Amino acid sequence: MDNKKILIVEDDPDVRKGLHLRLKANNYDTVFAADAFSSMVEARKHMPDLIILDLGLPAGDGFVVMERLQSVPALSVIPVIVVSARAGVANQARALKAGAKAFLEKPVDNAELLAVIRKTLGELAPPEDAPVHDLGSV
Amino acid sequence: MKEKPLQVLLVEDNAGDARLLREMFRAEGPGSFELTHLARMSEAVAHLVRGGVDVILLDMGLPDAHGLDTVRLAHAAAPDVPIIVITGLDDESLAAGAMKEGAQDYLIKGQIENRGLPRALRHAIERHRMHSETDLIRTNQLQFKDEFLSHVSHELRSPLTAIYQFVTLLVDGLAGEVNIEQHEYLGIVLSNVKQLQSMINDLLEVTSIQAGKLMIEPQRTSSSEAITYTVDTLQGAAIAKGITLSFDIEKPLPSVWADPTRVRQILIILVDNALKFTPENGEVKVKAHILEKDPSFLVFEISDSGCGISPDMTERIFERLYQASDPASAGRQGLGLGLYICKELVARQGGKIWATSVAGNGSVFSFTLPVFSLSSLIAPALRKDDRAESPVTLIVTEIGSKTGWLSENVRTEHSHWVRDVLRHCLHSELDVLLPKMGQSGAAELFFIVAIADVIGGKAITKRIQEKLDASEDIRKAGLTHSTSYRSIATIKRSAGQSRDEFLEMVTNQIQESMNEEISSRMVVNGQ
Repeated sequence: MDNKKILIVEDDPDVRKGLHLRLKANNYDTVFAADAFSSMVEARKHMPDLIILDLGLPAGDGFVVMERLQSVPALSVIPVIVVSARAGVANQARALKAGAKAFLEKPVDNAELLAVIRKTLGELAPPEDAPVHDLGSV
Repeated sequence: MKEKPLQVLLVEDNAGDARLLREMFRAEGPGSFELTHLARMSEAVAHLVRGGVDVILLDMGLPDAHGLDTVRLAHAAAPDVPIIVITGLDDESLAAGAMKEGAQDYLIKGQIENRGLPRALRHAIERHRMHSETDLIRTNQLQFKDEFLSHVSHELRSPLTAIYQFVTLLVDGLAGEVNIEQHEYLGIVLSNVKQLQSMINDLLEVTSIQAGKLMIEPQRTSSSEAITYTVDTLQGAAIAKGITLSFDIEKPLPSVWADPTRVRQILIILVDNALKFTPENGEVKVKAHILEKDPSFLVFEISDSGCGISPDMTERIFERLYQASDPASAGRQGLGLGLYICKELVARQGGKIWATSVAGNGSVFSFTLPVFSLSSLIAPALRKDDRAESPVTLIVTEIGSKTGWLSENVRTEHSHWVRDVLRHCLHSELDVLLPKMGQSGAAELFFIVAIADVIGGKAITKRIQEKLDASEDIRKAGLTHSTSYRSIATIKRSAGQSRDEFLEMVTNQIQESMNEEISSRMVVNGQ
């Protein structure tokens, strides 16, 4: 079976790389975008199965990206998981209203992120798992 | 440039006094003051509301207002205009009261010198201006500090994320094999990441407290679940320090009216604190019971066998940024925000928090939260018109997902607007939309207690169905909905029954019906 493809929209190069390595270890393919504009370009080009979206981005924030995705029928079906340093129930509510399937706060625990990805992709049995380290809830 | 004349409003009903004051202004020469004289408070208020007055000269005995009321009225009509009150010789205490109400200065009738009056006016205006500026600066500074803290906390999260990601990649062996010593060191890095993360969360929490943005959503919350969750979460840390962590709760413990996330947060901070100040082989215990003095509150107690707190410190420890300065407790202390956050969270949920301690003999941290009471929620509807006979109908709206799975996030978010829709379908005085009544399987359940008969219940149900059918949000989010009603037979208050007994009886019947609704769905949903 082909690996699922995930578009990572994140402007911090280190965080982007860290996410990529963790997802690769869990048998996901990744593509990248670092700003609001290129996220649309990459989404059209690769038609990913899922988008991991940061909220604070150059050239329009994550909410703008979600709005644009929603306006294109072919892209509006791609599930979005928001992973952001912007905490708070207000941001969470706004993101979910804008169409996000889940809202996670940075730094997000590896196990939690992978569980949410699997649920969102409808993968009931977990793929062959790399061990994850539990950061615990604080 | 020549300055504009100062606009003075003189409010004085005594014609003689007014003339005297007018004379004093005249002596100042034209162009420096313009005097408007009114004799009644009502006229003065109307004049002030129109604006343009620089200073008010106010007599405190007017035909339509007297004493401090005159100051209050003038201040309310024009909060930015300085007030000087004019009082009689024996009224200095009244003058002092006026200053407390916001007056800038006072003049005593018969003791006003010619040149003294204009000087007093100019001083009052100047003092008032400086005061307003200081206030503005202070407000701006506070706002700047909060925005700065919030910004910094956010910015700290990205590098922290990168550190976490790469350390866990190493720990998990995804970048090659790690030997035992390296593994141990990476574990130390991770526990420090966790500490930093919790400090950043505290900072963000405090900035939202300061900005009045703390989110608290009270609902029926299981107190025993909150306690067991906390003890389970921190058991690892306790074992690592060689401390016995346990709980001891009365059964059955009533639910509280509070936000479950916030209750867990308070307990975690307090138990974590207790562990921090308790030496090896010590003991930390969580207890909860009904408050003896007032059974409408539940009291939680976290006791430790640590170093204790000196009696004069038991209040100060809840202050923002307070740090324990005990040389015996070595190591890092954190930011000193935890207890402050607890105090705010408890207070915002209607409770109290305090600490008692015998120095050297451990401390007990206690906080109260209101006990959840269904009867107090429905009492207002039943008490309307002092009903002795009430047809009661229970309406249940069930929101589910086409995929059969509602994530916790989705639940929270959709609950908000579903509640809004439901509220619009109800009679605000006769129908009560209950808060979340606990877990309800794969679907989210909303309960409405309507003081209505079957026909009324049916009408409300139909209204809700139509509204939800028409909802864009339901369609877009791929949700399903259904609403049903069940009549709870008309409940009559018997002759000898008190209001409270009657209320309790109605409440019990509603609770029973609600339990049946919940359990029947659990079976359907295979729970």
